[in-house]
Amino acid sequence: MSVATTSSVLAVRGYSLAYRTGEGDVKALSNIDLSIARGRTLGLVGESGSGKSSIAWSILRYLPANAREGGGEILLSGEDLRAKTRQQIADIRGRRIGIVFQDPSTSLNPTLMLGRQLAEVLTRHRGLTEKQAFAEGEALLARTGITRPAEMMRRYPHQASGGEKQRVVIATAFACNPECIIFDEPTTALDIVTARQIQDLFVRLQEDTGVAALYISHDLALVSRIAHDVAVIHRGEIVESGPAAAIFGAPREDYTRMLIAAVPRPDLRLVDPTPPAGAPELLGIKSMTVRYGERSLLSRLLGRAQEQVIGARDIDISVRKGEILGIVGESGSGKSTIARAIAGLNDFTGTLTLEGRAFSERGALDRSYRRAAQIIFQNPDASLNPRQRVRDILSRPLKLYGIAKGRAEIDRRVGELIAQVLLPPEFARRYPHQLSGGEKQRVAIARAFAAEPRLVLCDEITSSLDVSVQASIARLLVDLQARTGATCLFITHDLNLVRQLAHTIAVMYRGELVDLFPVGAANAPDRHPYTRTLLDAVPVAVGGVA
Amino acid sequence: MRDLLRHPTGLVGATLLAIVLSAVLFGPMLAPYDPQQFHPAMRLRGPSQAHWLGTDQFGRDILSRILHGARSTILFGLGATFAGVAAGTLIGVAAGVAGRWIDSVIMRLLDGLLAVPDLLFTLLIVTVLGGGTGHAMLAVAVAFTPGMARIARAAVLSVRTREFVQAAQARGESPIYVIGAEVLPNTMGPVIVEATIRVSFAIMLGATLGFLGLGAQPPSTEWGLMIAEARQFMFRNPWCVAAPGIAIALAALGFNLFGDALRDILDPRGRQR
Repeated sequence: MSVATTSSVLAVRGYSLAYRTGEGDVKALSNIDLSIARGRTLGLVGESGSGKSSIAWSILRYLPANAREGGGEILLSGEDLRAKTRQQIADIRGRRIGIVFQDPSTSLNPTLMLGRQLAEVLTRHRGLTEKQAFAEGEALLARTGITRPAEMMRRYPHQASGGEKQRVVIATAFACNPECIIFDEPTTALDIVTARQIQDLFVRLQEDTGVAALYISHDLALVSRIAHDVAVIHRGEIVESGPAAAIFGAPREDYTRMLIAAVPRPDLRLVDPTPPAGAPELLGIKSMTVRYGERSLLSRLLGRAQEQVIGARDIDISVRKGEILGIVGESGSGKSTIARAIAGLNDFTGTLTLEGRAFSERGALDRSYRRAAQIIFQNPDASLNPRQRVRDILSRPLKLYGIAKGRAEIDRRVGELIAQVLLPPEFARRYPHQLSGGEKQRVAIARAFAAEPRLVLCDEITSSLDVSVQASIARLLVDLQARTGATCLFITHDLNLVRQLAHTIAVMYRGELVDLFPVGAANAPDRHPYTRTLLDAVPVAVGGVA
Repeated sequence: MRDLLRHPTGLVGATLLAIVLSAVLFGPMLAPYDPQQFHPAMRLRGPSQAHWLGTDQFGRDILSRILHGARSTILFGLGATFAGVAAGTLIGVAAGVAGRWIDSVIMRLLDGLLAVPDLLFTLLIVTVLGGGTGHAMLAVAVAFTPGMARIARAAVLSVRTREFVQAAQARGESPIYVIGAEVLPNTMGPVIVEATIRVSFAIMLGATLGFLGLGAQPPSTEWGLMIAEARQFMFRNPWCVAAPGIAIALAALGFNLFGDALRDILDPRGRQR
């Protein structure tokens, strides 16, 4: 054992952890073995609840009061961190182990200048004076690719973008040349293009400094690109670990294989890429503009000018019957705004045509329009009424639109809907909180299809789900879409996924539709530059295993 | 009901409430003496076999007076709270649902009223309308309305933007269905909890008004009035003040604990499986 421990910077051996709860101990980690050598990056991959963040907290010795540690050791350059006192750990954190969290807007103190937060690490751990620390801080920021480091040092977190903030956090983590840095989903909260830049920065800094990095992520494609070694964690146990190429090229375990197969790959189509030929137009949007914001009574009385934000500007889209249109873009690009306007949740100007009926304002959308156009939301936790059972949730559209009448017929139809989304029949009696995220999303899908819609608006319906669940939800949707012949607007930020299932792709950027092309033409030379940037930013799909 | 048995503090609250409510229902029958009967020879005696809680300045049996007073005291609290909660919730939900300028106008008015402390507010109303149980009850109800409206509106606002409400709107549901079936059931938790806690405030406010001579009038056995009448004698027999005081405290505690338990039980998310 001593041989192995000296060669690796960070080593976790036989480590177990449980959390004490009202219903007894819940096992979080069992018999974890990890080791990272100098200059290596270990990608730790797992779904939510797998225990990957618990490992990070254990290494940092930052466990909640109800944590109960079992056997095993956590070694930093051969020293057991579990044997250290509080004071010793405080000296090690930031100096010998760095950490970069997921969301830079919560990991930075909003009341302190960015430079102050960076300099603090330097004065605390490297004994620099205030002045030296600020000079050194500027140099560190410059190294992370910030163009005007001196100016950035004097800014507060709210004056910097997400990407800039994450660069500051990364600079702080690298500030004391630590032996090991833990990255906990460092790019998940950032938009696609920024995430790619931060990943490139990580790779460059890691190579320059030779730091041992533990990179925690749920994104297999990303990990395959940046990690030397990979460990797959499932329900608190390391299922499989080894060199990245071996794991992704020839996974031994079923779980790993399932995870890899679930990653969306543009080359594996879920539906025929050619849209139904000669089908008539189902949905037409002509110069649609959506504005947000209304004046408060006070500002109206004071005669202040109307402060409106344009969510989407002058959009023209035409979707044929049975077509799947993918709408992609960063957060705030206006892609959800469009879906919400079509669903009758946002006021709009311009014309909206569905099956030949034209509408020019939200108030004109009648019940038969609303029945024909159904929306499914991103977050299944919020889109189901917590006080209604699944049966009540699904029977509502049936009653509202008069699709089924009488208790027996409604119950029968509800049963069919539940079966259609591949849930067991007894789920009819359950409340939403008794279902998992994926199951809730299936109920939300069943509710939309209960109305027998002509158009289904899917607003990021897979983004809050785990990779393996995402894949099954996408398949389910494509299957239902094909069976019912409904037209589908699929809104997502996941380019690989949209390339798997859409016939046509629309790209939104800052409220405008910048590009619209058939999926086969994604790599055509006449693509809009922003489309190119997006496509280049997405991590390449992993491995040769399907 | 079974859920309540598994809720320890809720059980304590329910037990206290059961005692208080049985006093409301059967108090006059259980009372060993006539609460108004003077016994000049037995003035200000401490607890004894014959008088468990002692006697007051007129020799009246304190236990009998408390048992008789439960009805007026508790019904005052329940009635005032119910009226205040109903009015407040109605206004709050209306403001939260209407939004725009209606919301602004209603809430700014209520903010103004909220700035006046409850007790001062009730005193003002009682001074204008004159004392007596009915007016005091109305005063407490009016004093509760702005606070309840605020809570109901906040609950409505937090629920109104949730996606299941938007899903109902997108389906083309009528506003009445959206409010009644989607919004209201999810806002009732905070309202019910606040209401049960407010019953205890109402009891105490009623007792305070009684104490000040603005609520129930002698020879009523209302608990606050009992304290007021006996306060000069509290050093000769502490029980004549302590007993109604403890009765008020226990009743208030009962409503409080029960309210907390109710919130936990009413929320399906809190239930096990």
